[in-house]
Amino acid sequence: MFTDVVASLYERNSLDDIISKVAKEVFIPLTVAGGLRTIDDLKKAFRAGADKVSINTAAIKNPLFISEASKKFGSSNIVVTIEAIKHADNNYYAYTDNGREETGIEVLGWAKKAEELGAGEIIITSVDNEGTGHGYDINLTKMVSEAVSIPVVAHGGAGDAKDIKNVIDDGKADAVAIASILHYSYAEKYLEEHKADFKEEGNVSFLNSGRNYSKIQKTSIEDIKNYLSMNEIECRVLN
Amino acid sequence: MSDKKLEAKYGLPEKVVFCKRCVMSNQRPASTPEFKHTAESKKTTMHIDAEGICDACRFADEKEKINWEKREQELLQLLDKHRRNDGKYDCIVPGSGGKDSAYQSHVLKYKYGMHPLTITWPPILYTDYGYHNWKNWVEVGGFDNISFKQNGRVMKLLTKLSIENLLHPFQTFILGQKNLAPKVSINYDIPLIFYGENEAEYGNPIADNSTTLRDKSYYSYQHLKEIFLGGVSIEDLINKYDLTLNDLISFLPADHKEIEKANIEVHYLGYYLKWTPQEVYYYAVENTGFKARPFRTQGTYSKYNSIDDKIDDLHYYTTMVKFGIGRATYDASQEIRNKHLTRDDGKALVKRFDGEFPDKYFNEIMEHIEMTPERFHELCDSFRSPHLWKKTDAGWKLRHTVNEDGTDD
Amino acid sequence: MQGIELMEDSKPKVAIIDYEMGNMFSVEHACRYVGLDAVITSDHETIMNADAAILPGVGAFSECMSNLKKFGLDTAIKDFIETEKPFMGICLGLQLLFTESEEFGISSGLDVIKGTVKKFPTLNGDGKKLKVPQIGWNHIYKNPESSGWDDSVLNGLTEKEFMYFVHSYYVVPENSSETLTLTNYCGIEYCSGIQRNNLIAFQFHPEKSGKEGIKIYENWASKIKNTEILN
Repeated sequence: MFTDVVASLYERNSLDDIISKVAKEVFIPLTVAGGLRTIDDLKKAFRAGADKVSINTAAIKNPLFISEASKKFGSSNIVVTIEAIKHADNNYYAYTDNGREETGIEVLGWAKKAEELGAGEIIITSVDNEGTGHGYDINLTKMVSEAVSIPVVAHGGAGDAKDIKNVIDDGKADAVAIASILHYSYAEKYLEEHKADFKEEGNVSFLNSGRNYSKIQKTSIEDIKNYLSMNEIECRVLN
Repeated sequence: MSDKKLEAKYGLPEKVVFCKRCVMSNQRPASTPEFKHTAESKKTTMHIDAEGICDACRFADEKEKINWEKREQELLQLLDKHRRNDGKYDCIVPGSGGKDSAYQSHVLKYKYGMHPLTITWPPILYTDYGYHNWKNWVEVGGFDNISFKQNGRVMKLLTKLSIENLLHPFQTFILGQKNLAPKVSINYDIPLIFYGENEAEYGNPIADNSTTLRDKSYYSYQHLKEIFLGGVSIEDLINKYDLTLNDLISFLPADHKEIEKANIEVHYLGYYLKWTPQEVYYYAVENTGFKARPFRTQGTYSKYNSIDDKIDDLHYYTTMVKFGIGRATYDASQEIRNKHLTRDDGKALVKRFDGEFPDKYFNEIMEHIEMTPERFHELCDSFRSPHLWKKTDAGWKLRHTVNEDGTDD
Repeated sequence: MQGIELMEDSKPKVAIIDYEMGNMFSVEHACRYVGLDAVITSDHETIMNADAAILPGVGAFSECMSNLKKFGLDTAIKDFIETEKPFMGICLGLQLLFTESEEFGISSGLDVIKGTVKKFPTLNGDGKKLKVPQIGWNHIYKNPESSGWDDSVLNGLTEKEFMYFVHSYYVVPENSSETLTLTNYCGIEYCSGIQRNNLIAFQFHPEKSGKEGIKIYENWASKIKNTEILN
């Protein structure tokens, strides 16, 4: 899944090149998100090679966009991502622009509405947990997964393989999204193999430091899948 | 474009110039001793050199060349000189539990084996997540803390006066932030004080940075007559507002004689350790339970800078009014220098967020200091410098912006 | 057969039928990857002249059918299948071949394969809730009633291989011996692939199923080349 999380923030939409490049290299499904605002944007993304598109800000601003998109492209290709932050009243509220703008919209109601409008899949992101390695927000995931009949993908907070198992077992996630847990070790490996000078990269001091974030285990997809298979969660393990 | 020469208030440069690298303009005022600040004060402003690069960006270049290992050695020497193993505190870290003080105190204690006493000059109006961060700092981070709660009546009055006379809602906070540490240092016999970032990072003259000690003029005074709080002299405050000297003492800097006697040393940790705000944020999250604001800060795109005081947002709104520089400009400039953003990213953010009115806490603040919103807006209008602002049918518009979409661009 | 590098004009031509529904990019890419010359087209003649054809598809059954009819492609498809040249249907391309679908009342399909298209229920036989559509990886396994995979495009794949599925409806063929693969989703066993001579069709997306999915394309490419030689 490719997300330009700040596309709405910067009011841009520029992933087409990277989509095409990636789509040429892989034979697994590619979901693209970030700054997709109009039917035309979606069409361009699909044409560039995306299999699914994910929308958040645009859907909240105009919920009918979901039905328009799902009628045109098929609901199974339209994913709605919900960025959730927990408030003092213990309810979760949806945000746009990468966890920045309050909408006042309560997550559970919005998830159900998205399903009604034709979303094929929901990605439920815990803004509070993402990047922290504290584990997924089990309550949040369970609440949404049990409320809808479409697949729900848990996102935000994985620190190790056990967290992934927990959100599947207790959080009733139909699938999980992981990022940081793979990125640190990948970056490390990449740097070992390539003497990169990062001419086009911005902040390189972090990359060069080889630092990790203490609460996130450095791991690989292989290790995660092996762990899950050994713990009674079936997944596609390559030979 | 009018031929009439436009007045430039506060001694600001008449021509508005933007740095070619970041998005800051030459209207940015350098830090000044707050207690000398009056309505007539002329500002020293950010210097942009002949190549169009500002001092802060030049400093960022210099930062890359610094031998940080050598600097850390200097730090170790300094710390070794002060470290106490008799159970007593050996350094003071002033702060509010925000990312900066969280990082400073944690690194000094847990990495360098020092025994910091943290001190807090509390916000005028705590945000609830800001208060939690302060609590976590102390409880999760594990530090002793002295919080000096100010006389509420005086605090309100001075805040109101500083808005009336200087359009500077944050003065009372800055006064405390700068003045409290030396006083605690004197009283508790802890000569070593650590602040965080060196102010040259933001454009104070580079000459300031050649030493690590904060210029003593920031926190001491020679005569009471020099002092103005809220833009009002001490004499007037006592006579016109029915206050005593004691009512004001907590806002005043320490007597310079006491400071000389006590051998206080004020250092910037940012001189010794390479300081990247975003990294400091991650450190705070990882180690002291720091959490960002659960929504975007109004006037900018960020969520973790200066979020514990409700009046902070208003403060940045007034910098927009007085200098044409909003919070997004401040945040984006810093991130551009740290290579987290490109200049184009910065420009897009400034365009979208700079000058956004912080209505979330505004009414609460006005009620607290007993000022009407109308009066506040009236004051804003009177503080706008004609060389920066033009009144149009659609309201006040900047004459010059970094996106070159000002009325006179 | 010549060496490894085939000249452009000696590569078998595959017509990927374009009726403005779905992502044909991945299908095209998979074809090229295995050495086929793929062209995305809605032109009747181009399709008929091709050595093989693919009917991809994503979206609503009824909208797909009306688009096919609009472009006259329903006839093209039936004509092509009659030539017995290799034909592969993918996802909705499998469903469209059937007689009718439950979607929005009853919608008629191409009726090339007798049978219906049903929607996944909301609860399975044990009362467990089903998430619909099925989006994700699932096993395919052999139909005990059929003759196995050795002779088919699934040659070389292990039983219970993982493939990528995205669908809310599944096919129910009248003639179960034509079922090549079965899949089980939350306790519901259904046909996920059919074969009738040179006509094959899958509910899953081989071009999205990683290495194993590409193997299916490779096998199919071989079949096409062999068919070419025979002709």
